[in-house]
Amino acid sequence: MISYYLLFAAALFSIGAYGVLARRNVLIILMSLELMLNGVNIVFVALSLVPHGVQMAPGGHVFVLMVMAVAAAEVAVGLAIVIALFRTRQTVDINDLQMMSG
Amino acid sequence: MDPIFLIASAVALASAVNMVTQRNPVYSAVFLLVGFLAVAVTFLSLSAPFLAAIHVVVYTGAIMVLFLFVIMLLNLKPEELGAEYPIETRAPIAVLCAAMFGMMSWAILSDPSLAIPAKAPNATWGSVEEVGLLLFNVYALPFELISLLIIVAMFGALVLAKKRLSNVEATS
Repeated sequence: MISYYLLFAAALFSIGAYGVLARRNVLIILMSLELMLNGVNIVFVALSLVPHGVQMAPGGHVFVLMVMAVAAAEVAVGLAIVIALFRTRQTVDINDLQMMSG
Repeated sequence: MDPIFLIASAVALASAVNMVTQRNPVYSAVFLLVGFLAVAVTFLSLSAPFLAAIHVVVYTGAIMVLFLFVIMLLNLKPEELGAEYPIETRAPIAVLCAAMFGMMSWAILSDPSLAIPAKAPNATWGSVEEVGLLLFNVYALPFELISLLIIVAMFGALVLAKKRLSNVEATS
């Protein structure tokens, strides 16, 4: 059943959202973000199997590839920011990183 | 019900829960690695073999190596990990996320058009050939834009992570 795959994806997304909201270590927040993107990818692949017409093409798979490319770019930039922040502030706790809050 | 999917999803969910609750980021990274492999198996059971291979290459090959490399580079001592939120803060967030999952599952389960078997329409569904044909014909422009994004991200990461030259000159 396609709905079981969607339930699994929703569970992954929710666990990732909990990680983003409830953790203060910026590395673990970035990892939880990856988990949420994985949940979205499973939704794309599962829904590409829903019949919708005569000609079916795996267009959802192409968008998963795009999400993967964006995730890789996001992790590269995010981890570079983490390195730069750790170099100047010696912390990975997001509650200590408030210099832009005015 | 696909038994492979059952096992893979159980492994993925267990390692995801472990990942968000571990205090040490190295343990989190290892649990995330296991979760990524289980998600790749889920792709296989959704008859997306090309995506499963790409998922292993990109996520476990590139992204996890980047994470572990940065964890190693920062070399955090246990006292530098910082305090986590107390349980009074984390419990409402957990309830909130569980409520979000509940709403999503209610929407999924109440849709009869999704209660169909996850069966591929043909034998070559999700193969390299089929996805590649789409990628280079219908979605050629988004594909090119993605390469632009990756180049910009590469320059951004280089500029952000490199040591300031003025600092190096000042200390030497």
